Amino acid sequence: MSDLQAALSVFLDAYLARPELVSRQRGWSPTIALRATDTPSVVTVRFVDGRPQVERVEESPTLVVSSDERMLCDVLRLVRSPNEPYLFGELTVQGREADFVRLDYIATELCPS
Amino acid sequence: MSAPARPGPTALLATGCGTAVASVCALGLVQIQRSLAGPWAVAAVVAAGGACAVLARTFGRLNEVVPSGAGLPAYLSRAFGRRVGLRLALPYLFLMIALAGIETRIVGTLLGAVLGVPAWTCGLAFLLVTWGVCRLGVRPGYRAQVVATAALMVLLAGAALLALAGALRDGRATDLVRVAPPPLAVFLAAVGQAFFLFMGFELVTSHVEVAGSARPVGVALRRSVVVLTGFYGLLVAGFAAMPAVTSPASWLTPQVTMAAATGGALGVAAVTVACLLASYTSFNGALLALSRLVQVLSSQGVFPRGLARVDPQRLVPARALDALTVLAAVAAVLLSGHAATLVVLGAAAGAATLMYASALWARERAPFREAGRSRLARLVSATLAAALLLLGSGAVIEAALTVSSRAAAASGGTHGR
Repeated sequence: MSDLQAALSVFLDAYLARPELVSRQRGWSPTIALRATDTPSVVTVRFVDGRPQVERVEESPTLVVSSDERMLCDVLRLVRSPNEPYLFGELTVQGREADFVRLDYIATELCPS
Repeated sequence: MSAPARPGPTALLATGCGTAVASVCALGLVQIQRSLAGPWAVAAVVAAGGACAVLARTFGRLNEVVPSGAGLPAYLSRAFGRRVGLRLALPYLFLMIALAGIETRIVGTLLGAVLGVPAWTCGLAFLLVTWGVCRLGVRPGYRAQVVATAALMVLLAGAALLALAGALRDGRATDLVRVAPPPLAVFLAAVGQAFFLFMGFELVTSHVEVAGSARPVGVALRRSVVVLTGFYGLLVAGFAAMPAVTSPASWLTPQVTMAAATGGALGVAAVTVACLLASYTSFNGALLALSRLVQVLSSQGVFPRGLARVDPQRLVPARALDALTVLAAVAAVLLSGHAATLVVLGAAAGAATLMYASALWARERAPFREAGRSRLARLVSATLAAALLLLGSGAVIEAALTVSSRAAAASGGTHGR
């Protein structure tokens, strides 16, 4: 398992440990790719009705989050809020605004800075 | 899963123009036209537009390397470090709030004239409605922005053309064109003031996240400068050609005075509706975008952390929205006089040139500078950045001089600008 994959597991475990947060995301079904800009690492996770799916994802992502691998791991391990690298241009997103606003909300809820 | 809807080139172009063209721009144009006679006012707008054409390429490059909706703070932080980046970007935020206050008063004046009720009640109602809609997480779509921006620009351009045609018909055209050159300092101050008109065109870079790539945003940046230069040039010529009117509308709404002089009651109604639509769409978008910026800044401790709170149902930064609405209302109350408004317009021009100069400097630093970037290109950037700072300073000084001469005239002095 790569560092990025392990960090994603930490994030998803923390998310699933908050059932009220999961239930608030009902109806949200994006496919999110987390892409490192300094290494070839990339991980993809699909949400269906707000719940992450564990099977391998084949479809193209609807939301792409890019940063260097260390930053992505820090955010996924809830060491750092995504707002900070986003504000300073060290983390970028591409996709529907509603999707990245929701993802930002979830990450901020899990990691209040 | 369907692919996310991406804004097309027309929508991005309209967004770039729409954020720059606010009702308050008419005030800026009249201010330029008062300090310079007809063709020189047009020349000042075109000169500012020429510099903005270079800036459009600069912002295109910044956006290509850092495709972030955070925009200016992100670019400047990457180039100069976090602390300097934030300090350079913050004046822009505060000036936007002051401009929101003036825009609120303009909308209040427009609505008040139509409804026959005090302007302040209409301004307050406009703020509350916009705040309420933003709180619900509703924002106008790209199509609504295209319609609102196009309607306002077409109507005002039409009124300006009618004013120019009227000047030709009345035999005033020669007087308009044959004017002595102004002093160089006055002309340069007007060029500095004209940057205020373009302020906001670069915000289209924040749409890179939904546009899919930086390329269409770069195209929209360049095209919006061309469209804005033509539009403002035509409008300032129209203001110069406007016949003297015996009962002008409020000084806050010179566009209505021009519509009345060229299109009568129908023209006034059309321009008023278009101004209200354009003000609403741009105000709504600006409030949501600024509230998100305030939320992110608050989460970093720049502002009180309580403002970082997001409404879990609507996913909007509710407290930041509340705070910005209150600040806009306070700005509308405080900036109630002509003098205060002129000071804000001058300061906005100063903030715009500072921001644009910073962008030019950022473009010549890592990670934005290409390996093969020529020394000549870097020299041109540095020279333009220095010139922008000088022009902006000139605009601030010109506004201060205008205000002081008005004050002197009001208190019994004999000279006025």
